Amino acid sequence: MLEGGRIGARQAVFLMVSMVLPTAFLFVASVTSHLARQDGWISILLATLAALLIARLAVSLSLRFPGKTLFQFTEEILGRWPGKAVTLLYIWWYIHMNAEIVRQFGSFVVSAFMPETPIIFIELLITAIAAYAVRNGLEVFTRVNEIVLPLILGSVVIIIFLVTPEMNMKNLLPVFEYGAVPVIKGAVMPAAWMGEIVTMAVLIPYLSRAEEAHRIAAAATLITGFFLAVTQVIDIAIFGPEITAGWLFPALNEIRMIHLANYLERLEAIQMGIWVAGGLVKICVFYWAAALGSAQWLELKDYKPLVLPLGAILLAMSITLHDSILDLFDFLGRYWGPYALTIFIAGIPLLLLAVAAARGRGGSPG
Amino acid sequence: MKKVLAFLALLVIGAGIMSGCWSRKELNELAIVLGVGVDRTPDDQVQLTLQLARPSAFVGGGEARGREPATWVVSETGKTVLDAQRKLALRISRNIYWSHCVIAVVGEDAARSGIRRYISFFAQAPQPRETMWFLVARGKAGDILESRSILEKTSAQDIGFLARARTGYSVNFKDFLVMLATKGSNPIAARVEIIGRGVVPGAPAMEKSVEEEGPALTGTAVFRGETLAGWLDESETRGLLWLRGEVLKGIISIPSPAEPGKEMSIDIIRGRTIVKPRYDGESVWFDVEIIVEGDLLEQQSKDELPEREALEAIERAMAGEVEKKARLALEKAQAEFGADLFDFGVAFHRKYPKKWKEIKDRWNELFAGAEVRFSVEAHLRRSGLIAKRLTPRE
Repeated sequence: MLEGGRIGARQAVFLMVSMVLPTAFLFVASVTSHLARQDGWISILLATLAALLIARLAVSLSLRFPGKTLFQFTEEILGRWPGKAVTLLYIWWYIHMNAEIVRQFGSFVVSAFMPETPIIFIELLITAIAAYAVRNGLEVFTRVNEIVLPLILGSVVIIIFLVTPEMNMKNLLPVFEYGAVPVIKGAVMPAAWMGEIVTMAVLIPYLSRAEEAHRIAAAATLITGFFLAVTQVIDIAIFGPEITAGWLFPALNEIRMIHLANYLERLEAIQMGIWVAGGLVKICVFYWAAALGSAQWLELKDYKPLVLPLGAILLAMSITLHDSILDLFDFLGRYWGPYALTIFIAGIPLLLLAVAAARGRGGSPG
Repeated sequence: MKKVLAFLALLVIGAGIMSGCWSRKELNELAIVLGVGVDRTPDDQVQLTLQLARPSAFVGGGEARGREPATWVVSETGKTVLDAQRKLALRISRNIYWSHCVIAVVGEDAARSGIRRYISFFAQAPQPRETMWFLVARGKAGDILESRSILEKTSAQDIGFLARARTGYSVNFKDFLVMLATKGSNPIAARVEIIGRGVVPGAPAMEKSVEEEGPALTGTAVFRGETLAGWLDESETRGLLWLRGEVLKGIISIPSPAEPGKEMSIDIIRGRTIVKPRYDGESVWFDVEIIVEGDLLEQQSKDELPEREALEAIERAMAGEVEKKARLALEKAQAEFGADLFDFGVAFHRKYPKKWKEIKDRWNELFAGAEVRFSVEAHLRRSGLIAKRLTPRE
């Protein structure tokens, strides 16, 4: 076995939430308010539904091949060389996605807090820490996450209570002003984000009890969807759709609005904490998936030698992919959703499931 | 041995990384901006005025330091706000730091020529905060920042406290941005000007008493789109507050129903405004329902309070006074500015989203012609500590 770790059901739910929420919390409201305006929260609910279906799909597919990851059973379904080609695509996707995430991480810290610091310095630090965690294996960053995620969710809840005086729920009216089309358009990006739950297909062999996978994926998706929808509602209630769509990081501006009794204010440090801690876990998950996938693709006995080279690629890509934060946002808002959704999150898994069923590969889904 | 080497390597690397952050901001290297003023110069440039804190004046509270001015006001012109700031940086020995800015004031000329270009920096740059108070100066914004405060350390804090007391209509920067970005809403902000505020008595036999001038919030600046359309005075601002349904503090003064020529004053405890947009396929009108509750705290007359008839007469007079103020503001908005200052368009948008699409671009004209029907309900809840008048019966 390449990865000797085993994680329990609760650990897995936590990990899957941390894999999506920290970055989504910060970015999604801007894009959904731009497209769906005050109905953005409906977009999030739609996206949650879509993500539940995707989770169902990925887990069903994976459970047909007990003990095998996405990178292994693809070969079993499609045959050796076609399988290897598809797996290579997934490895590329994990590296590319992670490079985007590292860039988002760096962009946020530099734009909002440390404008004079070179972005590569911040990205280097986070990548180095992630590399260390990934070398130590799945169980290590899963346990870190068991400490981190409750803190993140706790601070989000506290923030929600503290900003209530600024909120005006009437901003959410009128509902469905522009009909269903903008709402569906607005759902694409969050669906792609939450659809990262497809990573369950890599994680399932390392669950202590694989039969709980359906429940784990559904629980993680619902928790993520709930927090995203609440954030969306709050941002619209505070700023209205026009201003929310204008901010780069609506959640940051939301926290900056907190001022209670002329005393409790300037709490962005909490936001920074959420971002750094949660972002680290998120980067670790995809980093680990990429390393594991590459090792399985190359049929190595260990993925550890691949961690540092992958880190170098990650860092280099994150710097070269985009010239500016505006380019990054344009890419995420316009292209990332369709690109990730149609190919990696829904397209290939559907195809794999169809082929597996047709060729009678794998056991019946659990 | 290997472990020791690894540990040493970690120490060396750590020493390099942890000796300080890249973007550190040390307090003694910062010039903290307390208030900022933006004006338009006659040749269409931006004049930036900063009120900076002098940290030494904030240390301790000793009498000896009492005379040391707490602020330093600097001003410079440039093509943009940042351009002017860059020029200022040439003569300010510390880094200009915006995060603690309490107020942002825009001068009258700048506001009249379209405010957007003067305020974009404050929304876009990460340092200035959305919670700072946003005001429009009658005259030049720079003059406001050059003023002094008697009660507070700086005039910026003074104005901040005035705005926070919400006796008039004060908005923070976020509120202003939202109003500016929303169709069916015209931005408004508190008006600030320098007026004679009081007298500072001199020390005995040493100095004369000095007339003191200082900043005061004297009404509301009214925009049509992004340009300043005019002002509402204090009395009209009361009406504006009623129509926008903002939390109110203040006094309603009414003539005594029993004794003409004498007045009574009621302290407002709470008020509520419900605006119902109406549309019957042709015309647009609004039903405005105002509920006001107050305590009677002063009476020059001799009305018998416990009598129900007297109470009802007072309540009717209260309602009449509130409606009068509201109509005053409404008339000015409709006839003089032709601008919807009360977010009626936003309410209409929420109730009739389909119709809104057709009319949103000519909303201000429609608003100017719209009928508004008032129904005001007033309640006198308490009468201070007195149940009966204190004057003797005849």
